[in-house]
Amino acid sequence: MTHHTIHQSADERFNPVAGVLAYLLPGLGHWYLGEAKRGLLIGAGVLWLFFGAVLIGGIDSVDRVEDKWWFVGQAGVGPIAFATDLVHQTQFKVVDSRGQLQTPPPGPDAKASKSIGHANEIGSLFGAIAGMLNIMCVIDALWRPRIDRRVRIRSVSASEGTPA
Amino acid sequence: MILRLLAYTPFLDPMPMPGGMWWLTLAPLALGIAVVYKAIKLDDMRRYNKQVAMMTTQIIAVMVALAIGIQLVVGWLTPLLGG
Repeated sequence: MTHHTIHQSADERFNPVAGVLAYLLPGLGHWYLGEAKRGLLIGAGVLWLFFGAVLIGGIDSVDRVEDKWWFVGQAGVGPIAFATDLVHQTQFKVVDSRGQLQTPPPGPDAKASKSIGHANEIGSLFGAIAGMLNIMCVIDALWRPRIDRRVRIRSVSASEGTPA
Repeated sequence: MILRLLAYTPFLDPMPMPGGMWWLTLAPLALGIAVVYKAIKLDDMRRYNKQVAMMTTQIIAVMVALAIGIQLVVGWLTPLLGG
């Protein structure tokens, strides 16, 4: 092996497939890069926060229409956030007296009820933090070398006596 | 409160929180942040559990300290300055 395998260029490290996978499902990008444990921990952490958001704030805490700016953060979780919003918009909203689509207030006929106060704030916050953390993970996956390549670099470095 | 709990459907309705207990959600929030952040930050995963525990504790401690500080400013210093 030649010495230049140790010094990878930016292009060699850049991995768009890992980035796309990381966005499609939290942790999948790192799994693809050969780091299954890291991927599982990322997936567990991001989904813990996202489903924590829905558990605390109800499905109304993920709302692309009424809470647009919160959703900008939540969208970082990927298709799961968009699917949750789609279910919310299509299955749980009703037309109110002004003709607008709204999550109904608590009541016997409501399939899901409007989230207000601390529950809504905390639910929205959990979801937005989950999304922003996953964006960090996507960026990390984009620029992290595959584990087999790093092992090769380390072994070449060790045999040539240079630091990795 | 019991009626609200009985009517609660997880993941559809907002969680009924007894007044003043919402701050308890800081612990799972801090844990989730630490789990994800340390998963991408650490090279050596053998130190992972200890680092996650430490970061979770640090976030909670700093938030509690900030809450005490803000409470002192709002509840004690501001009325003092206002006469």
